[in-house]
Amino acid sequence: MTKYLVKRAGQALLVLWAAFTAAYILLQAMPGDSILIKFQNPELGLSPEQIAKIREYYDAGGYLHTVLGFLHGDFGYSIDTGTPVVERLAEGLPETARLAACAFVLAVLLAVLIAFGSAYSGRLRGLLLAVPSLFVSVPVFWLGILLIQIFSFRLRLVPVIGGTELQQLVLPVLTLAVPISAPIAQVLARGIDQVLTQPFVPVVAAKGASRSWILWRHVARNALPPTLTVAGLVFGELIAGSVVTETVFGRNGIGRLTEQAVNAQDTPVLLAVVVVAATVFVLVNLLVDVLFPVLDPRLAT
Amino acid sequence: MSSFRPAVVTVAMLAAVGLLTSCGGSGAGAQAASDGEPVYGGTLTYLEHQPPTCLYLPAAGFYPNGGVLNQLTDKLTWQNPETLKIEPWIATKWEINEDATEYTFHLRDGVTFSDGTPLDAEAVAANFDVYGRGDDKLKLPPAEFVNNYERSEVVDARTVRFHFSKPSPGFLQGTSVIGAGLVSKKTIGLPYEEQCQLKNVVGSGPFTVAKQVVDKEIDLQARKDYNWAPPSSTHQGRAYLDLIKIIVTPEDNVRVGALTSGQADYVRYVQAYDEATVKNAGFVVKGEPTRGVNNGLYLRPANSILKDIRVRKALQAGTDAKEVVDTLFTDNYPVATSVLSHLAAGYVDLSDKLVHDPDTANKLLDEAGWTRGADGIREKDGVKLRLGVFVAGPQPLSKQTLELVAQQWTKIGVKLEIRPADSGTQAVDIKDAEKTAVNHSMVGRADQDVIKSQFHTENRDVILSDDKKLDQLLEEESALADETKRNEKVAEIQRYVIDQGYVIPLFEEPQVYGIAPYVHGAAFEAVGRPSFYSVWLSK
Repeated sequence: MTKYLVKRAGQALLVLWAAFTAAYILLQAMPGDSILIKFQNPELGLSPEQIAKIREYYDAGGYLHTVLGFLHGDFGYSIDTGTPVVERLAEGLPETARLAACAFVLAVLLAVLIAFGSAYSGRLRGLLLAVPSLFVSVPVFWLGILLIQIFSFRLRLVPVIGGTELQQLVLPVLTLAVPISAPIAQVLARGIDQVLTQPFVPVVAAKGASRSWILWRHVARNALPPTLTVAGLVFGELIAGSVVTETVFGRNGIGRLTEQAVNAQDTPVLLAVVVVAATVFVLVNLLVDVLFPVLDPRLAT
Repeated sequence: MSSFRPAVVTVAMLAAVGLLTSCGGSGAGAQAASDGEPVYGGTLTYLEHQPPTCLYLPAAGFYPNGGVLNQLTDKLTWQNPETLKIEPWIATKWEINEDATEYTFHLRDGVTFSDGTPLDAEAVAANFDVYGRGDDKLKLPPAEFVNNYERSEVVDARTVRFHFSKPSPGFLQGTSVIGAGLVSKKTIGLPYEEQCQLKNVVGSGPFTVAKQVVDKEIDLQARKDYNWAPPSSTHQGRAYLDLIKIIVTPEDNVRVGALTSGQADYVRYVQAYDEATVKNAGFVVKGEPTRGVNNGLYLRPANSILKDIRVRKALQAGTDAKEVVDTLFTDNYPVATSVLSHLAAGYVDLSDKLVHDPDTANKLLDEAGWTRGADGIREKDGVKLRLGVFVAGPQPLSKQTLELVAQQWTKIGVKLEIRPADSGTQAVDIKDAEKTAVNHSMVGRADQDVIKSQFHTENRDVILSDDKKLDQLLEEESALADETKRNEKVAEIQRYVIDQGYVIPLFEEPQVYGIAPYVHGAAFEAVGRPSFYSVWLSK
């Protein structure tokens, strides 16, 4: 087990380095840069010589310098706003973590509801199984606006401006959870169907177990591993979805920070975001891999 | 999380899909409250379209920055937005020498910055030394509203003098603009990246920063001891409001919906197509003029196709600005009658030169040797008459405007290629006349110098000019001390750039605000940035 963990941790570090380097190279290869975008602003009326001078001040000092900085936890300054990147991350991370965590929990609840609902129900089954396809094809942007229009502006149930922490979370969480729930529900529903056809199910039924008992005690347990894998993978979608959700709802999390940094080609911020996102992604998937043997004893060799 | 009822929500959402097509227009019909006796207190919720960026004062032209800084800082002088005359503010009076190379300002007594330090001659001198010359060591760029600045001289604690290497008649107005807001000596001595941050901006204005969540919310609270409003302001003393919550809300329909559903009191940037929604809900739509160089298409003579004046004049004649306004905009967007707004200093009506005339356009292009190809697009020596333009992010409905103009140009056989681009590509290609033959832009400032800002090769240089005569005209304008002569020069420049076909003026670009009926005293500086000093609430 220890050997396995060390190997996985090594792989994780490699992935992180690769993500950082790829992002670094791609950002360098893009036309223009944040200095040009910000300082060629006609309002400032700077000459090319003055811009070159400013670039000297801001120059991060190349790849190695940047890597070393990151290893020391020094992510540099945002060129767009002039604030230290660490500050921006410290503000944005908790906000996005709250949003993503709540959305994930809600997405799993929705998925379980849909999957088990379809396993129980006879006539509604077709309809319920179509829900994930609907959910996954709903654009997050559109859904956010729709929810705001209905629940905030028409029914006036939750404000989008001001309001308490909880009120501010309700609609964004819902917006983000809906598309995330779709793949989880799909895989879970398929898993349940597959397990139900296994020979042990009629055996358990013959022993007198009720349908609920079979579903929850036997089927669920066996349908869980693939679902867990998918749940690990949708984490990427959580990040992508938060970019749009946070922009629509005006939340200042990592997603919105990313959107602004992309617009301004704010390299220090983007590199930091890539590293943070990759770290979390790697950790989540590591956790999933570690949990696997616990859930499925056959894998624990 | 336990408060969620996913099944119920799901059902509600599915049901809601049917409802969605209609949006807006349901707000309670509020009465147009008559202005009564002003009341102190209350919180104003103001929704801003974009987060402020760098708050270094000369970069305050960006509207989100200006909206904040206008409340935090005072200026030496106050430009009356009605008359455009320069009136006293922090400077009680001033003297200007004959050729406008020496300005002496006498300062008001007892003004303090919010950190307690006095707003005296030394502080003012420190501010303008930076705005006039920039500071290489602190990485501070100079400001575009100060020309020919040489040095400051502190005569005594309440008298400061500025010296210029060449006449600088625009300087007096320059001391009234938003970018000339005065900050404490400590603030102005900070390096660029520090001055960019709101927490370091210490002004003497009627509000101070109470709280900031970067990119999301800025709370401003009234300064209780504020007592130095411009003398011509009817309101004196502290601001009426206790608190202003500036909340960044990027989505257009969220801002409008929040206003009409009572979640916000005041919003910036109401799109033209939302104006009716806001009005029908009983709210006020205010289109504030920006009094500068009009929203228009700026044609670059350095481009290999546009170097021929006949082509430029043809494009001018082939563009129907009225159709653009009638189709996409509202009464708040007057059709341009010159390169300058009709409210700009030195404006002349040149509408007779800007008549939509496709026949003349076609004739000019025929003469220039551009003949129609099989696809209807003209060509000459195997080159298609194709011109590139970028969608201008800051301009309202820029993409739609350009698409409509492209349709108009198709009729005269010209292809306008509209290029939506990431800001990096745009930053590189916008300086390339071959790739970007046409520039869609505007600039607001209530002084004759605004036209120099737009066209001079050392300022914005939107046409990437190689026209020495134009530069010379602009320099002459900016150095003329006599107001009448200066206006005559501005008139000459307006004629010149239109006769040369450097510009196709479209409309006078406003700043459009949505305001709740119980908000009184909404005021704006000369270029349409809000001032909350005299605002009060009756709710």
